[in-house]
Amino acid sequence: MSRATLDLRGREDEASREELEQIERVWRSPPGFLGWFTHVNHTNIGRRFIVTSLVFFLLSGVLGLLMRWQLSGPLNDFLDPDTYNRIMTVHGTAMMFLFAIPAMEGVAIYIAPLMIGARDMAFPRLNAFGYYVYLIGGTIFFLSLPLGLAPAAGWFSYVPLSGPEFARDYGVDIWTTMITFIEVSALTAAVELIVTILKLRAPGMSLNRMPIFVWAILVTAFMIIFAMPSVIVASSLLMMDRLIDTQFFNVDAGGSALLWQHLFWFFGHPEVYIILLPALGIVSAVIVTFTQRPLFGYTALVLALVGVGMVSFGLWVHHMYTTGLPLLGRTFFMAASAMIAIPSGVQIYCWIVTLWGARIRWATPMLWVLGFFAIFVLGGLTGVMVASVPFDRQVHDTYFVVAHFHYVLVGGAVFPLMAGLYYWFPKITGRMMSERLGRWSFALTFVGFNLTFFPMHQLGLIGMPRRVWTYLPERGWDWLNMLVTFGAFILAAGFALTAINAIRSALRGEAAGDNPWNAPTLEWATASPPLNCNFARQPAVEDDHPIWSWEDTGQRAVVGGLSTTRRETLVTTLLDARPQSVQVLPGPTPWPFVTAVITSVAFLGLIFSPWFFVIGVFSAFAGFVLWFWPRRPYREE
Amino acid sequence: MILAACDGSQSALDPGGPDAHAIALLSQWMFAAGAFVFVVTVGMLLVAVSLGRTGARQLSFRRSAIVVLIGGVAAPIVAIVAVAASGALIGDETEGAQGPEGPEIVVAGRMWWWEFRYLDDDGEVIAVTANELHLPVGERARLRLVSDNVIHSFWAPNLQGKTDLIPGVENVLFFQPDAPGTWRAQCAEFCGLQHGLMGGLVIAEPRAEYDAWLAGQAADAAVTEGPGFDAFMDLGCGECHTIRGTAAAGEAGPDLTHLASRRTLAAATLPNTPGNLGGWITDTHSVKPGAKMPASVPKPERLHALIRFLGALE
Amino acid sequence: MSARDPEKSPPPHVDRKTRAVVTVDATDLPRFAPHTHPLWWGIAGAVAIEAAVVATLLTSYFYLAAQNPHWPPEGVDPPPLLWPTLVLFVLPMSSATMWWAGRGSDAGRKRQLAIGVTASVALACLALAFRSVQLTELDVRWDAHAYGSILWVVTGFHFTHVVSAVLGTAAVAVLAWRGYFTPERQLGVVVDTLYWYFVAAVYLPIYLVLYWAPRLL
Repeated sequence: MSRATLDLRGREDEASREELEQIERVWRSPPGFLGWFTHVNHTNIGRRFIVTSLVFFLLSGVLGLLMRWQLSGPLNDFLDPDTYNRIMTVHGTAMMFLFAIPAMEGVAIYIAPLMIGARDMAFPRLNAFGYYVYLIGGTIFFLSLPLGLAPAAGWFSYVPLSGPEFARDYGVDIWTTMITFIEVSALTAAVELIVTILKLRAPGMSLNRMPIFVWAILVTAFMIIFAMPSVIVASSLLMMDRLIDTQFFNVDAGGSALLWQHLFWFFGHPEVYIILLPALGIVSAVIVTFTQRPLFGYTALVLALVGVGMVSFGLWVHHMYTTGLPLLGRTFFMAASAMIAIPSGVQIYCWIVTLWGARIRWATPMLWVLGFFAIFVLGGLTGVMVASVPFDRQVHDTYFVVAHFHYVLVGGAVFPLMAGLYYWFPKITGRMMSERLGRWSFALTFVGFNLTFFPMHQLGLIGMPRRVWTYLPERGWDWLNMLVTFGAFILAAGFALTAINAIRSALRGEAAGDNPWNAPTLEWATASPPLNCNFARQPAVEDDHPIWSWEDTGQRAVVGGLSTTRRETLVTTLLDARPQSVQVLPGPTPWPFVTAVITSVAFLGLIFSPWFFVIGVFSAFAGFVLWFWPRRPYREE
Repeated sequence: MILAACDGSQSALDPGGPDAHAIALLSQWMFAAGAFVFVVTVGMLLVAVSLGRTGARQLSFRRSAIVVLIGGVAAPIVAIVAVAASGALIGDETEGAQGPEGPEIVVAGRMWWWEFRYLDDDGEVIAVTANELHLPVGERARLRLVSDNVIHSFWAPNLQGKTDLIPGVENVLFFQPDAPGTWRAQCAEFCGLQHGLMGGLVIAEPRAEYDAWLAGQAADAAVTEGPGFDAFMDLGCGECHTIRGTAAAGEAGPDLTHLASRRTLAAATLPNTPGNLGGWITDTHSVKPGAKMPASVPKPERLHALIRFLGALE
Repeated sequence: MSARDPEKSPPPHVDRKTRAVVTVDATDLPRFAPHTHPLWWGIAGAVAIEAAVVATLLTSYFYLAAQNPHWPPEGVDPPPLLWPTLVLFVLPMSSATMWWAGRGSDAGRKRQLAIGVTASVALACLALAFRSVQLTELDVRWDAHAYGSILWVVTGFHFTHVVSAVLGTAAVAVLAWRGYFTPERQLGVVVDTLYWYFVAAVYLPIYLVLYWAPRLL
């Protein structure tokens, strides 16, 4: 969706028209196939993350349907156990690593810079690099299935099952390598989001005027930085056990199987909140716009987000209640796990109070938000239940837990993501999505979701464990499983409708205009789709609902004096966003792509030989040198 | 289906012992409380969004703050305390050694079946059996959970929560059936290809019957020779299976000394009948794709002798 | 911050009902701000990530130690102290020369910068040489026992980071000798020194855990 023509809105002033043309030229992403590989604008990269993650979501959803087909009846032989285990592993891994995080990252990369009034992110080339690494890693991971190389040890890959003795083929190596790709991509995005949000905000946008969505992204990015290293270490240690015979997880040589679980879950638990928090940010954004009211309890909401972020690091042992750890330790984690209900509850009630009695615009985004409330609250309640050690000892590793996490992840993250999609689609594409298709999609998804996952609570309680490729007819699980499978197809139809809606609307939707929803935040203060430079003049803000106050006063403050012949954006101070300097940003360049390919080859080679580590270090270095080497004209010239 | 008689239930909602009872009671309270909170929260939401239809209204700051504090802070605190306290109390009960001391049994998770080694008071092995755990009613049996391969988890929901069998670690689990009965167990930690059909039976019987059963299991095989036994050894079964009192001493597969006394085959997948036994031997991988046991297809006469032999191992 | 005549600036790209008033004039703001540049924050983020990785590795060291009755395992001695302790002195020296180089860069003394970074590279290479010798003297292989595995992996991790710091600083050195850097245009120097300090400083906890903990605990 590149802007082929400039929309000059009938400008009378010739001089400024020229300036606008010039600045748009400077910020243009080159068209054409080869040009695609040089784009660095955050809008291009953000869009790619979103589209790619949604493609992976649909693929992974199809895998879920295959699983459900197999489980629709007892002793079904649609899938043999090996194929089922591989599909199950890829479904879980792809949903968690290739869809959920990148989708949220994509929305953040696209929206956050616009929302803070910046022209781009702090490190555009790094942004692009992170995307290519994700694209390559994700594609290879999915390709492993038809090539018979997919991992089969579950998305959490417990040792010793995933170790060199019991997982002999390349599957787990593909898994560890994919983790490496994703962690590089997520970490680069996280660092960049933090720096962008802290340093590139519009003048006057002090921290307490930042939209809640931006706070959510900021907290999430910090969580990524402190959580991902744990899984990096875990996957690297596993990779080394398999590749060069280290003994980290071999109990016969001083290693520990539980070390894997601690390392994995220390990451794994914050991970689900990393997925959740941006979604909660989207809920805040949608509620403000569709009630045309400010949120109640801004400070409480910010503290709640930070609270969730911090508390989430102290919960991980609740995934290990059945491993025989001392009861006293588990009791601590039980209390901590229940505690996360406080910051979650504060947010829920702040939203309810904001909605109270408001004249609500019942467009599709708001429907998805309603669905979020019902489903996420239910999931949160089962979460408090499984926080209890004795209860969890019955339902751990059963379909009850499958129900729980789908309720919180689909309800808590996917529904808000859908809301965000319908909300920001007009901004991203310049066209409105169909309301009719949107309502049908929501209805089918909501009904299908509950039909699919609610019966799973019962299935777990009556004895059905997780990760089973089939079950015996005598168990009495037939009817419930059949219902679940039926629901899954309705759920799939619901998502399919949104996919169709998105494609049709992108091609033929009604034109949106700059601010179809009359929202208050800065991303709506530019064209739809945004100008190449985001803002012809960067805005300066004086409160937390800038567009509404501009409408009230009839006047808006802007930043002047930025170059129109090279890419520049304002750098402001951390706390109260006073202008500090100007950052000159790079233009289109192929080096991020080249370096991403080099590093990918190195990561993949590691599956086969440790020497790729050495090759990788040196060739990546070469790539980075070419990337950063200063080229004329230097800045002062 | 003949199975209803010899097959038990596998459900946390049908407790057969004090541990499962305590957890089931806890579950009921939690479901009730959860349902209440859900109804209140979603109810408030629905009220909130429908009020705007007839003119916008807004709660005062004070009212809003009260709602947030009650709903978001006070109610969760009550929940936290309730969960933590009940969890700690019941945790102690269900994982502790209280109650009359019962037998001590080593449970070894194998791929993909359960080995049970009954110990006497001195810790010596009395009997070894597979996939069918007998326990005396009213006594608190002590299960020592071990694994020398991957992680498994022993779960008999009618009696107890589950605990994992982790290589390098020995975990302890207590089972105390209240009354005679038959229940099912199933592996609850993903352990590979046949994780889904790694089941077991837990059978509780009065002490006297239990003692008789144990004595039977401790004895050597009832039949130790004949054409069936010859077929057994010729086909190489003795490399993996033990039949005490004979030369068959393999340890890779389940102990078959008293196979005929068991109600099921293949980790509680098939009822133990001659037809199923024949099918299991000759077509193993149709029943359990990926099982480590190779199928054997002897000539029909040998197969009949083999099945008769195995059927006599009471 | 002069207010420009709003009629002369390009009208905002939103509704024509609001008029634009320039309240911030960025014309005279510096385009070079090497000590507050976003990239400085970016490298600080990278440092935070690496520090978290080191913390995780060292925690794993202690976890594995707790699972083993004998640590190091029977028949294995803790690694000899000589070479690691020499590195403990060499790396801070290289940080000092980097700091000196940075001062030179701030003051426009290009020679001081060039000599300083070159000296750091040389000292780091010396440290790498010591480390290589140390690795050949280790009592246990990485594939023999978890103790060997964690010892080699933590050592290798730090080794790789010193290599990356050397490579990056070598690139900076080449540009420094060519006189490219000025007090304004020295972002590369600033971020490189930041990374260098981290690589040198993180050696201390590694040193204490790998070489002193097994002896003292």
